[in-house]
Amino acid sequence: MAESKGFNIRRQTGFATIAVACFVLLYLPILLLVAYSFNSGSSIAIWEGFSWRWYQSAWENELVQEATVRSLIIAVWASLISTTVAVLAALATTRTRKFKGQGAVFAMINQPLMVPEIVTAVALLIFFAMIKVATGYSGLLYLIIAHSAFCIPFAYLPIRARLQGMDLSLEQAAADLYATPFQAFRRITLPQLWPGILAGAMLAFVISLDDVVITEFVKSAGQDTLPTYMLGQLRRVITPEINAISTVLIGISVTMVIGFTLLSKIRN
Amino acid sequence: MKKTMVAMALVLAAPAYADGALNIYNWGNYTSPEMITKFEAETGIKVTITDYDSNDTALAKIKAGGHGFDIVVPSGTYIPIFVGEGLLMESKPNEMENFKHMDPQWVDVEFDKGRNYTVPWQWGTVGVTVNTAIYGGDINTAAVIFNPPEELKGKINVVPEMNDVMGMAIHYVGGEQCTADKEVLMKVRDTLQAAKPNWISMDYGMIEKFAAGDVAAGVNWNGASFRAREKNADIGFGYPQTGFPVWMDNAAILSDAKNVDEAKTFLNFIMDPENAAMLSSFARYANGISGSEAFMPEDMKAAPEIVVPAELKAAAYVAKTCPPEATKLYTAIWTELQK
Repeated sequence: MAESKGFNIRRQTGFATIAVACFVLLYLPILLLVAYSFNSGSSIAIWEGFSWRWYQSAWENELVQEATVRSLIIAVWASLISTTVAVLAALATTRTRKFKGQGAVFAMINQPLMVPEIVTAVALLIFFAMIKVATGYSGLLYLIIAHSAFCIPFAYLPIRARLQGMDLSLEQAAADLYATPFQAFRRITLPQLWPGILAGAMLAFVISLDDVVITEFVKSAGQDTLPTYMLGQLRRVITPEINAISTVLIGISVTMVIGFTLLSKIRN
Repeated sequence: MKKTMVAMALVLAAPAYADGALNIYNWGNYTSPEMITKFEAETGIKVTITDYDSNDTALAKIKAGGHGFDIVVPSGTYIPIFVGEGLLMESKPNEMENFKHMDPQWVDVEFDKGRNYTVPWQWGTVGVTVNTAIYGGDINTAAVIFNPPEELKGKINVVPEMNDVMGMAIHYVGGEQCTADKEVLMKVRDTLQAAKPNWISMDYGMIEKFAAGDVAAGVNWNGASFRAREKNADIGFGYPQTGFPVWMDNAAILSDAKNVDEAKTFLNFIMDPENAAMLSSFARYANGISGSEAFMPEDMKAAPEIVVPAELKAAAYVAKTCPPEATKLYTAIWTELQK
């Protein structure tokens, strides 16, 4: 790797400058946001001193509490459902003979990655509104279904990557020894697949937790999640309380992504 | 774990409210929690509040149907759209018991003449913020922006809101809001172009800069000016005599509301001066109810940003949505101004 003669992007002029600029642009605003969450004053632009007061006020804010619980419930359900579906889909697209239209199936599973979120949101708004009117049910289920749907590709990709990286010979050996397909899956495939499944579930969880656009359009009365609650604050004065909530959300996301990376690295 | 699962399953079931529920769909951080607690205690009605962040989001969701909301609080400029689409119920607030408290100034508003649909929630003005330590002259004039005195030159910020700034400029040269009169608009363009070199920026979020004295004058919202004065006592708020825009958010019952009686009780409730004052003390804007001042916190009672001086009340005009042909001309002037 070190002395390869081929093209090496890291040796191009300006590489370091561009890389540093990108990192600064990406992380400086976030660092500022985190810094001001500890501001003792009520401004998000003028530093007045260090304090935990905004964390305390967010913690004690009943609306924040309710929105957080709702976000977590939706994220847990959405990651459970989407991961289950993703495992089945990943098995069906890697552990079978190539079939006609496999590319199309792959594209359809990953559709939420390609379609602009606002389009999905408007489509779901209209579709669910019809169901809500017809059935009279307006509980959290709509949000859970919507979140599960757009979380599927995020759960699917790591699981599929894991499956593709796994040696087929173990499964073949199991089949040779008269294991039924289910036994082979249960005893051989699943235990090896676990890291991929967990990684997919964590990614789905974070994606669900962070969603704004689709949630804003699908939510019914009394169904604000943490991100839509934060969005609602924008019209009036923003206090560092929003920074404090954001910092906690970033903390959760970063932890999950680190967990995801570690899990993806586990070898057999 | 089992407990959690049961709890989670319970949440999935539709919220089975007993009768006496009310679902309010409102701007975030805009509904006084104390007032809701009082409402719940007095009426036994359980209130749920859900947030939106723009009139458009609210309109889209309500139009789609099946939302489950009873009350919405759109801006005055959006009320004709809501009514035109048949989304609001003609709930006749003007026949309710507490209607007598509504300030007569706000009864015959253009977006809801005679108040057949809506009740004022909060309203505010777009005026001029001036640092009176830097400029001591009359601040009740748009001239501080459009033809500024020496002291203020190069220290002016104008909020980048086309309708508000254009409206103020049109009235400044003697026109009426939404005019498509090209002669008036030529004057507006020349005035704005001549004034622009004296401005330092066209930006939002100036509270800190006003407080620090970096910006000494600007077209501004009264609420933002109020908060700047809390940080710097020299900050004054003026109402241009030639005319200044007023915006108003209004509570209304949705035509497909499920809890109509509860919603009507609520509209009547917020027209009570004491309750309206609770809304104001939380959101820090004026309401449309006479006699509510008595219940407001001391710092709001006499605040020049909240209380429009009697002699300038006539200069207020309620902002409306202009017809497309006027808006097209405004956009052209505005685009040229921002170059």
